[in-house]
Amino acid sequence: MSKYETIIGLEIHVQLSTKSKAFASDDVKFGGAPNTQTGVISLAHPGTLPKLNKKQLEYAIRLGLAIDSKINPKNYFDRKNYNYPDLPKGYQITQDKEPICIGGEIPIYVKGEWKKIRIHHIHIEEDAGKSIHDQNPNFSLVDLNRAGTPLLEIVTEPDLRSADEVEALMGGMRQLARYLDISDGNMQEGSLRCDVNISIRPFGQEEFGNRCEVKNLNSMKFARKAIQYEVNRQIKLTESGGEVQQQTLNFDPATGKTSTLRTKENANDYRYFPDPDLPPVVVNKEILEKQKAKLPVLPWEAFEVFSKKYQLSDDKAIQLISEKSTAEFSLNLMEKGNSNKAISNLIIQKLKPWSQENSCSISELPISENQLLDFIELIDNQLVSNSIAYERLFPLLLENPKTPVKELAERNDLIQSSDTGELEKLIDEIIAQNQGKVKAYQNGKKGLLGFFMGQLMRASKGQADPKVANKLMIEKLG
Amino acid sequence: MNCQTLKEIQSGLLTSKMTAEQLVAQYLKEISNTEELNIYVQVFEEEAIEKAKALDEKIKSQPNNLGKLFGAVVSIKDVICIQGKPVTAGSKILEGFESLYAATAIERLEKEDAIIIGTVNCDEFGMGSSNENSIYGATKNPIDPSKIPGGSSGASAASVAAGTCLISLGSDTGGSVRQPAAFCGVVGMKPTYGRVSRHGLLAYASSFDQIGILSKSVEAVAATLEVIAGADEFDSTVSTLPVPDFSKTEPSDKKYKVAYFKNALKHKGIQPAIKSSIDSVLEKLKIDDHSVEGIDFSLMDFVIPTYYVLTTAEASTNLSRYDGIRYGHRSSEAKTLEEVYKKSRTEGFGTEVKRRIILGTFVLSSGYYDAYFSKAQKLRRLISEEIESIFEKYDFIIMPTTPDFPWNIGEKMDDPVSVYLSDIFTVLANLAGIPAISIPIKSEGELPIGIQVMASKFKEKELMDFSEIIIKKDLNEQS
Repeated sequence: MSKYETIIGLEIHVQLSTKSKAFASDDVKFGGAPNTQTGVISLAHPGTLPKLNKKQLEYAIRLGLAIDSKINPKNYFDRKNYNYPDLPKGYQITQDKEPICIGGEIPIYVKGEWKKIRIHHIHIEEDAGKSIHDQNPNFSLVDLNRAGTPLLEIVTEPDLRSADEVEALMGGMRQLARYLDISDGNMQEGSLRCDVNISIRPFGQEEFGNRCEVKNLNSMKFARKAIQYEVNRQIKLTESGGEVQQQTLNFDPATGKTSTLRTKENANDYRYFPDPDLPPVVVNKEILEKQKAKLPVLPWEAFEVFSKKYQLSDDKAIQLISEKSTAEFSLNLMEKGNSNKAISNLIIQKLKPWSQENSCSISELPISENQLLDFIELIDNQLVSNSIAYERLFPLLLENPKTPVKELAERNDLIQSSDTGELEKLIDEIIAQNQGKVKAYQNGKKGLLGFFMGQLMRASKGQADPKVANKLMIEKLG
Repeated sequence: MNCQTLKEIQSGLLTSKMTAEQLVAQYLKEISNTEELNIYVQVFEEEAIEKAKALDEKIKSQPNNLGKLFGAVVSIKDVICIQGKPVTAGSKILEGFESLYAATAIERLEKEDAIIIGTVNCDEFGMGSSNENSIYGATKNPIDPSKIPGGSSGASAASVAAGTCLISLGSDTGGSVRQPAAFCGVVGMKPTYGRVSRHGLLAYASSFDQIGILSKSVEAVAATLEVIAGADEFDSTVSTLPVPDFSKTEPSDKKYKVAYFKNALKHKGIQPAIKSSIDSVLEKLKIDDHSVEGIDFSLMDFVIPTYYVLTTAEASTNLSRYDGIRYGHRSSEAKTLEEVYKKSRTEGFGTEVKRRIILGTFVLSSGYYDAYFSKAQKLRRLISEEIESIFEKYDFIIMPTTPDFPWNIGEKMDDPVSVYLSDIFTVLANLAGIPAISIPIKSEGELPIGIQVMASKFKEKELMDFSEIIIKKDLNEQS
């Protein structure tokens, strides 16, 4: 165990799923041919002006409300000045002094516990284009499709203590963005990325060490590697009597190492100042109310209901909240049904895999709620055994969603028998055929009960009521 | 055919005293007659003639469906985008650049049947007061070709004064429409900040820039403003207030309350002849029972520094987009990315533009921001508040447009500060965002004099009505 504590804060960039750009009407889509989603504004042609995409503001407010941020009533936009070929205007429009959301916290689930990560602020900004340096030996290429794409930057307090927590927060952020319908949160396509601020301090020390910022990590694998490398580097440096210098670092996925991008001394002077082309935007009550009304149940709220009200295990609750549609579907069904465990099992074992196979939302399931509740009732009343219900009745129901489920079970001869006469006959046969095992059982090898039950289920083609059969079998075996 | 107002032209066309084709031909002839004044960057000769022919057809076939500006022939300062035409802001950095879109003002002009005859020279990116800072060389003053026409919309004023068009669109960041109007003896109006969309106007200082209008008559200016003003989805800073019928002037005998700044008329740099012309207008207004009062404007000394700190700050980042990457001039010498930036911009921008980019970068830089930019912003607010409080008591403020007469070409090229100081009377309207107009008044000498009238925000109608009163008074008493 290291004697150093790892301290991490994130700057998370979420690309918003608006139809058009942050300050122009050009399309926003992933994967278009280079430089096809641009126009005179995105290209910063002379005389063009920005105009705020209202959706971007609304999405920022929705996220802020979800995590209990204070929403800034008056929003200013600033210019962050620097030159790079993928930044057409020579400045990025962002919010420097007055971000849209201040404070708040995001609960993350890590190692079986919930932990709240405090948020410093969330601000609105626009993305740059992409520079491509490895496709031509003589030139760098620039693709401006992404230039001007709406972003939210979520800046956390230094509340994270490990790569696991970073992963949990990034996963939580993706989940939350999808719940709120503001972004697909897809790290591979760059919709979600983060800069990681890392420092170390001896356990017990209150003061933070000097931090280093690793820029632009667009996969969890790289983020983990970068954190691991950086923590080791800082510990080694400190142990050998050196001091960690505050700096900005690049991470090279090929070598797994970080390298200096700039130090505190040669930090960029971005010359932030209020963008004179964009008057302050006022967030009134009406806008707030509209976004409040759009808030769905949030992942941690749904978890609470599953675990406290419906008494499900944490593991099951986590599975049920993975997607908003699943959580909402489950909550709705449990509200109406009686058997929460049976409902959760059905959703986890059958409905989620079905939605994944068909790459659609669970809410698109062709089977009505009442049919599903009837299905569960059949199991609960032991009219159909669990395994028959899952393996045979459910596929039939998918194909005949309109046929009443009980009728479907009857028609296909799936109603399990609880006729003890029939069962006793079957058990007698099994005992007769397995005298050796019966002896072993009677001599104390009670584990063989499973074997006998298996035989019985096979003989009854799964229609034996397990409870009744179990009782009978134990009696017969003596 | 020497029509100076839009009404005269329109009635001439409607009564078949002339055709639009003849009118355009006349202007084209004047353009070629005055070629040595170096007014035009491009002349759209064929297109203008085609449009005139089409207009003549329309006058015959649909006389009830004519646009508000039919018969208005307009020149455009080389900082306003016309679709498919070069726009260069008088700069090498935009060498060969053609606009892919039209400015909102241009679209609206054309929709109302105005004919655009060409683009005219200006100081590079609107930075200058003499029209000498241009890749195309200096434009000369039609009244005295040894003199500058003023700037930055110097060639706009010259194009009107030389009779090469009826109207010119310029841009005014600190007096760039009013000062050349005064120097060339025409009317020049800067509307309220936000009255006219800036979409398609190449930015110098975004919170100061406004498209302005120059012509020989207030009437033509009013008709043009009525067309180009108003809400626009492309500009977030443009006002959504309804646009009044500026062109409907009602003769009124209303008596106005007029203020003038005592410290402006006592300014040490002011030419005595200019002062006495202004004094005489003020006297005539008094005689006519308007109330005229001298007041003190306490922040006069801060006007120029505040203006230059804020405009250069905005300009330094507005001009970042001219980087040689996507369009415009790219140095053929450049081998690395840094060289593309440095060499392209060094070669592409003129001295005055570089001076302002450097100054603006400095005042925004960390460690100096609070000392310069923040302070200037506070001063701007104080200046606006003082101006607003004056308009609570008075309808108009009168000042000279300029403290001096147009100077000789080349005379002040090495003395930028004295040129900055000559903006003393005009920058106030841009700092406060209020409308202001320069009207030519009778001058004892050969060079023209402009009187400047300022009004409260969005009071262009009152401003232009009052301008007509001044012109009438000034001419009547003199004749």
